[in-house]
Amino acid sequence: MVTVRTDPTPRTDRTGPPQDHAIVIRGLTKRFRGGQVAVDRLDLAVPRGSVFGFLGPNGSGKTTTIRMLLGLVAPTEGSWELLGTPMPGGIGAVLPRVGALVEGPAFYPYLSGEANLRRYDAADPAADPRTAARRIGLALERVGLTAAARKRYRAYSLGMRQRLAIAAALLGPRDLLILDEPTNGLDPQGTREVRALVAEVASGGTTVFVSSHLLTEIEQMCTHVGVMCAGRLVAEGPVAELRAGEEARVRVETPDPAAAAAVLAGLGLTGVRTGAAEAGAVLGGLPPERVTAALVTGGVAVRGLAVHRPSLEDVFVELTGEGFDVDG
Amino acid sequence: MSEQEQRRTRRGRAVRWGVPIAAVAVVAGAVGAGPVIAAVQGAPALPERTAEQLLADAVRAGEAGPRPMSGTLMQTSSFGLPGLPQVTGATGSSPTALLAGSHELKVWYGGADKVRLALPGRMSETDLIVGGGQAWLWESDANKATRIKAGSEELAAHGAGHGRGKGTDHGAEHGPGKGTGHGPGAAGALPEGATPQQIAQELLKKADADTAVGVTSNEKVAGRDAYQLTLAPKDAASLVKEIRLALDGETLTPLRVQVYAEGSAEPAFEVGFTTVTFTPPAPENFTFTPPPGAKVEEKSFSELTSGHAARQDEGERMKDGAEVVGTGWTAVAVLPFSLRDLQEGRPEQAAGGEAAGDATAVADALLKSATPVSGTWGSGKVIRTKLVSALLTDDGRLLLGAVTPEKLVEAAGRK
Amino acid sequence: MRRPGAVRAWWRLFASETGLIFRRPRNLAMLAVLAFVPVLLGVALRLFGGPGEGEADGAGAIFTQIAGNGLFLTFAALALLVQLLLPVSVAVVAGDGIAGEAGGGTLRYLLTAPAGRTRLLTVKYAGAVVFSLAAVTLVALSALVVGLVLFPAGPITLLSGTTVPFAEGLLRIGVVVLYATAGMAALAAVSLALSTLTEAAVGAIAATVVLVIATQVVGAVPQLSGLQPYLLTHWWSGFDGVLRDPVATAEMGRGLLVFAAYTVIFGSVAWARFTSRDVTA
Repeated sequence: MVTVRTDPTPRTDRTGPPQDHAIVIRGLTKRFRGGQVAVDRLDLAVPRGSVFGFLGPNGSGKTTTIRMLLGLVAPTEGSWELLGTPMPGGIGAVLPRVGALVEGPAFYPYLSGEANLRRYDAADPAADPRTAARRIGLALERVGLTAAARKRYRAYSLGMRQRLAIAAALLGPRDLLILDEPTNGLDPQGTREVRALVAEVASGGTTVFVSSHLLTEIEQMCTHVGVMCAGRLVAEGPVAELRAGEEARVRVETPDPAAAAAVLAGLGLTGVRTGAAEAGAVLGGLPPERVTAALVTGGVAVRGLAVHRPSLEDVFVELTGEGFDVDG
Repeated sequence: MSEQEQRRTRRGRAVRWGVPIAAVAVVAGAVGAGPVIAAVQGAPALPERTAEQLLADAVRAGEAGPRPMSGTLMQTSSFGLPGLPQVTGATGSSPTALLAGSHELKVWYGGADKVRLALPGRMSETDLIVGGGQAWLWESDANKATRIKAGSEELAAHGAGHGRGKGTDHGAEHGPGKGTGHGPGAAGALPEGATPQQIAQELLKKADADTAVGVTSNEKVAGRDAYQLTLAPKDAASLVKEIRLALDGETLTPLRVQVYAEGSAEPAFEVGFTTVTFTPPAPENFTFTPPPGAKVEEKSFSELTSGHAARQDEGERMKDGAEVVGTGWTAVAVLPFSLRDLQEGRPEQAAGGEAAGDATAVADALLKSATPVSGTWGSGKVIRTKLVSALLTDDGRLLLGAVTPEKLVEAAGRK
Repeated sequence: MRRPGAVRAWWRLFASETGLIFRRPRNLAMLAVLAFVPVLLGVALRLFGGPGEGEADGAGAIFTQIAGNGLFLTFAALALLVQLLLPVSVAVVAGDGIAGEAGGGTLRYLLTAPAGRTRLLTVKYAGAVVFSLAAVTLVALSALVVGLVLFPAGPITLLSGTTVPFAEGLLRIGVVVLYATAGMAALAAVSLALSTLTEAAVGAIAATVVLVIATQVVGAVPQLSGLQPYLLTHWWSGFDGVLRDPVATAEMGRGLLVFAAYTVIFGSVAWARFTSRDVTA
C-alpha cells in the first residue's frame, strides 16, 4: 500500500533536514496545574509520507501530545515543528494543511452533518468559500455519509459521528492528518473502511499520524510506530525493524528437557532454557530442520517442535511491561 | 531556539494579562483623574483673595443679580443615620429620600422672569417653568400641568431663590445654618446703604467669635476654577468639622456647599453643581404649553405651597414652646415632645399621607438604635448621627443640636 | 499572518456565527418571549387600563402615558425589559459563546481549523452584539406595532412636557434602541469574559445573571448610592434622557462611556484569558 521507508530510524536522523519530517518534537513536556506530568520530555520525528502509529495505553499522554501539536494546549517545555514550520508561531499558516480528529467527534447537535462541516470550513481562513460546497460533498462521499448529509447530527449513530469527524479532517487538501483513535466506536466493517481510507490518503502522499491503544490496528495500518508509556516514548521506529529486534525462538516439547537442552547447547544456540516438559533457545540463523535432525540423532524423544517468531505485541510487552488489550 | 521561543511565549502570556491591567488602569485613571489632577496641579489659577475681599466681591456680585446660566445640581448626603429603612420608588420628592443618596436638579436661569427647574426621575420628570409672564408646574408621572396664578415676579424670585438655595435650605435644617446663611440675603440684616466691604467686615467680625474662617483659591467645581471659603467651629463639642462654600472664580456664584462631620473624610452633606455654564440658556426652556391629553389645573401659589405652609405653621407652633440653650455652633434646641405623638401619628400628618408614613418609619428605625442615658435630670434616649444628636427625655423634651451627646445631656440638666 | 483575505475570512466566520445564533432553537424561543412581552403589556393596559392615579410613581408612571400615545409603549416595554429579561437573554448568548463551544467539544475543532483565538473571540463578541441589537429592536418593533394598533398615535409628549411630532418620536425610539443595545453590548463583554473562565455554559450564564441582580441590589441601597455611577445596571435605563427636552446628552454620554469602559476592561480580560488558556475539553 505504501512504500515502506527503510531509512535509518528517526531517532538517529533527528538532526537531518526538517522538511523530511512532517512532525518533529523536541523535549516536549506538559505539567498540568497540580503537578501531574502528562508528557515527559518527549522526542519524536515522524517521516513525511509515513503512516505513523502512536501507540500507548489509555492515559499514557497520547491525547495531550496531540493537543500540544495542534496548539490547543501550551507545553510547559520543549518545542515542535509541523510540516517544517516552528510552532506555535506557525499555527495560522500550517493548520489549514493539517486535518485533525481529536478525542472523538464533536459537532452541533441541532445542525445537519453538512451544515456542521460548513461551520468548520468557515472557521478555516485559508478555505475558499466558493469551493466549500464541492469540498464538503466530496468529504461526505469519502466517508460514505452522502445519504445522511441533511440529517441532524443529533440523529447520527456513533459510527456515523466518527465518520463525520473524519470527513471534517478531510475538508481540504491535507499534507498531514492527525487522527486520535479514529476507529473508536466503529463496528468491524467501519474499522476496515477507516483502514482503507487511511491507506488511500497516505497513497496520495499525505503523512498520517494515528494514535491508538489497539495494537492490531497499528500493526495493520502503519509503517512506523512510536510507543508511549506513562508520558514517555519507550520505542520508536519502522514497524519492520522493531519486529526484527526480537529474534525467533525454537521450542521443543519433550519428556526429557535436560537432554534436549544439551543438544540445543551443542548446536551452539544461545538463551537455552528448560521448562517442565519443554526446552527452548534462540534460533538465530539456524534452519529449524537442522535442530530436528540433531535432536533425533541425539536420541531425544520429541513430542513437538515449534518455531516462534515474535509479534509486535511481544515486543511491546517487553518494552512497556504491560500488555495491550488486543480487542479494545 | 527552543529556549528562546519558550521564553517568548511565556513573556507573551505576561504581556497578554498586561492588556486588561492597562485597561483597568486607564479607566481608573479617567475616573479618578479629575480631582487628582486638580489636587496635583495645586497652582492657584485664580488671584489670591482674602476672606474679606472674597465676601465683599461676592456681595457685590450678588447685588448685581445672578448671571444667566444653566447647570446640573447634585445633592448627596450620608448622615450616617443608623438602620435607615430603604426608601423605594423615591423620585426625589419624598423628604426622607433626601436623607441618604444623591439627587439631581437641573437648572436653567435666564433672568429673574426666566427660570426652569427640572427634577429628573426614572422615566419621569417634574418641571417648574417660569417665563413669558406665566408659571407652570409639570409633573410627568401624573401627566398634569398646573398653571400657577401669581405675580410672575414674586414667583420668579421664589423660583430663583429655590434654585440656588435648595441645598442651602437643607444645610440650614441640619447644620447650624451659620455658614450657609451668609449670602446676598444676609445683607438685609445690615443698615441700608452699607457697602459690600462693610457687610463683609461685619460678617467676619461676627463669625470670628466662634468660627475659624479660611480661603483657598485652587478649587475645581464642575470644571471651573473656584474659591473656597471654609468655616470651622472653634468649639470642640460641635459635630461639624467644617463647612466649605465654593464660589465660582469668575462670577463668584456659589457653586457648592459641603458640610463635613467630625472624624469623616467625606462630606456628610453636599450640594453643588456637577456641570455649569454661564451662557444664557435657549429660550425654549422658558416656554411651556400643556401637552394634549394632560390634565390642566390652575392653582394659586399659596394653594400649591399650602402643605409646606402647614408644616411651617407646625414648626412655628413648636418654636413657641422651644427654647435654645447655648449659642453659635453648639446651640441646643429644646422642644416639648413625646414619643406618643410620633407613634400615634397626628391628624395633620396623616393628611400628608405618604410623607408622614415615611417619617414615622424613619423615626421607628432611629428609636431602635437609640442608647439610653440618664442623669440628675432624669433619663432618656440618645441618637447620634454624623452631624446631629438628639436626646428624647422621658419627661417629654426633645433636645436637638449639632453637638456631641454629652453636650445634650449637659443641656438637659440645665432645666 | 494578516493576509488580504483575512477580512473576508473574518466575515465568513461571523456570518457562520450569526447563522448559528439565529438558527439555535433556544435563542429563537427567547426572542419569541421578548417579542411577546410588549403584546402582553399592551393588551393588559388596553383591557384593564393603567395604574390608577396616585398609584403611579417612579417607573410605573410611564404606563399612564401609554393610554394617550401608543408610541410610549415602546419606551415602557424597553424600560421594563432592560432590567432583567433582555440582560438574561444576552447573557445566555454571550455566556454560551466560549464555554458552550468548549463544553460541546466543538471549540477544539474550531481552533484546529484554525479559527484563531483572537479571531474567534471577536467573532463571538460581534455575534453577541448583533443578538443584542436584534433583541432590543425586536422588542421596540413589537411594542411599536402593538402600541399603534391598540392606542392612539400622534405627536408624542416628552417627559419634560414638550410635544414633538410623531416622526421625531420614531427617531428618538431609534436612539433609544441604539443606547439600550450599547448597554447590552457591555453586558455581553462581561458575560463573554466569564465564558472564557469555564467549560460549563450554564455556569457562565448563571454567573452573569447573578452579577446583574447583585448589581441591581447594590444600586437600590440608598447608603451605597455613591457606587451608582459605576454600576452597569444603573445606566441601562438611562435612555429616558432621550425623552427629555433638551435631550440629556451629558447623562447619556456618561452612560455610553461607562458601557465603553466595561466593554474594554472585560473584553481585554476575555482576550487575555482565552488566548493563553489550555483547551482540554
